[in-house]
Amino acid sequence: MSAIDDLTTELARLPGIGRKTAQRLTYHLLKQPADQSRRLAQALVTLVDTVRTCTRCFNLTEAPLCSICSDGRRDGTLVCVVEDAADIAAIERAGEFRGRYHVLGGRLSPLDGVGPDDLTIGALLARIPEDEVTEVILATNPSLEGEATALYIQRQLAPLGVRVTRIARGLPVGGDLEYADGVTIAQALQARRDM
Amino acid sequence: MLASLTVREFRNLAALDLEVEAAGLAIVGDNGHGKTNLLEAIAYLRLLRSWRGARDVDVVRFGAAGFHVRATLHPPARAHSAAIGFERASRRKRALLDGVEQPRLSDALGALPSVCFSPADVALVADGPGERRRFLDVALALTSPSYLQALQTYRAALSRRNATLREVQRAGRAGADAAARVAVWEPALAEHGATIVGARRDWVAAHAEPFATLCAAIGESAPVSMRYVGPAEDSDASALADALRAQLEAQRAQELRRGITLVGPHRDDLQLLLGGRELRTFGSAGQQRSAAIALRMRESATVREQLGAAPLLLLDDPFAELDVRRAQAILDLLAAEGVGQVMLAVPRAEDIPPAFTRLSRRTMREGRLS
Ligand SMILES: [Zn+2]
Repeated sequence: MSAIDDLTTELARLPGIGRKTAQRLTYHLLKQPADQSRRLAQALVTLVDTVRTCTRCFNLTEAPLCSICSDGRRDGTLVCVVEDAADIAAIERAGEFRGRYHVLGGRLSPLDGVGPDDLTIGALLARIPEDEVTEVILATNPSLEGEATALYIQRQLAPLGVRVTRIARGLPVGGDLEYADGVTIAQALQARRDM
Repeated sequence: MLASLTVREFRNLAALDLEVEAAGLAIVGDNGHGKTNLLEAIAYLRLLRSWRGARDVDVVRFGAAGFHVRATLHPPARAHSAAIGFERASRRKRALLDGVEQPRLSDALGALPSVCFSPADVALVADGPGERRRFLDVALALTSPSYLQALQTYRAALSRRNATLREVQRAGRAGADAAARVAVWEPALAEHGATIVGARRDWVAAHAEPFATLCAAIGESAPVSMRYVGPAEDSDASALADALRAQLEAQRAQELRRGITLVGPHRDDLQLLLGGRELRTFGSAGQQRSAAIALRMRESATVREQLGAAPLLLLDDPFAELDVRRAQAILDLLAAEGVGQVMLAVPRAEDIPPAFTRLSRRTMREGRLS
């Protein structure tokens, strides 16, 4: 039964899903009405075929520019740098920030072979003059690697004369931005300090 | 105190269940039958790893799927029960306090406070600085959560800086670009390194004199002393952090060539001196053994200070290679400190010192107690 094995193997690759859970999900998908499973398959295909990264900020989008970059009411001179697109959703929930974003696509993680060239730092540096950016808020996670990433970017930005700030340490150390509540994120943004 | 112990598939101990009296227990048995393994299993509930430096997979009994050690504590320490389990297939180690799995393994460190004395301790004195750094790290990390946190973060930052140094070398980067990639790990190394060095210096300052007194009482006529050898003499945290940061920066060019971090608490030493010369090189075997036992006694004092009670003493035939005079002096010193619970392992009943003849006795044979 290789179809069952194939799906189980693919599901087990997902984060937080072990072999046993993958098996249970596979049998569940077989048991439920076939239409429902087909809709899931179609949603997956549509997702991977239509969602790409924004050409300016690397947020997830179905258009060349994401909804935030194409929103004229957002302040383009203020850029908030985050590790992953999921962090944008968390900051947007807080409702405090009216600037735009820049998604790094990860953080410095030398044990996994991720260096500065694997992140979108070059594109960020190019945006500063292009978009007449006046302030960059570094909102990487308050973890060992998030701090190192913020420091690296700060030093790259220094010669460009742009103001660089770091979100306050109101977030629990080692805690992910993605999981912080809106009030905490709003406070961390308000209390940002110059680097 | 340890009230009962369950050991499964741990080295040659297939299944062992044991009640322990408040005074402790003497285990008599020939070498190679499992006495030391039993003490090692108990020590797992403190360090969560082998005190002999063995890998977890090598501790699993031959052919078994994993090992399990569980103790009930009465009166309770941090919990009424502590357990550790390791599964060979997944290489997963789990620690439970009161039956609840700890989210991080390190949350269970020190669950059953003990200090182990063994003839192998001579390595503390005779071997390189790494042994003594490990000694300080265990003594401090298990009695201070802030030290443990600093140590974990320091090690995480160090492995990332070293990985970056290697990557920079491999990719042939140079100049400001190479330095910028490496430098971002230095603030964390300086901050947490300062916490580590400061705590180690404070420990040495508090224990240097009692250590010297112990060595003299054991019978060493030449004065034995200890000192911490590391970057800068400061023990003020911010001055230390500044000094570390400056040294990392000064060494960076050389480190970029060598591909490894050359300064910091991971390179320091707790130097032991005999009349001004290194005990490690110039001490006799007897002098080195005395100093090793004195170090363990200061470790015991450190745990006692934090706990407010004597830790469980695991005595693995500790007097085997000492002369009678030194052995008696050490027993007197232990008695003067006030001995709590003791697990004593000796090859023959005649090896039980008079101070411990009141302990109940069990015999260990081929991994079984009778
Ligand atoms: Zn965008």
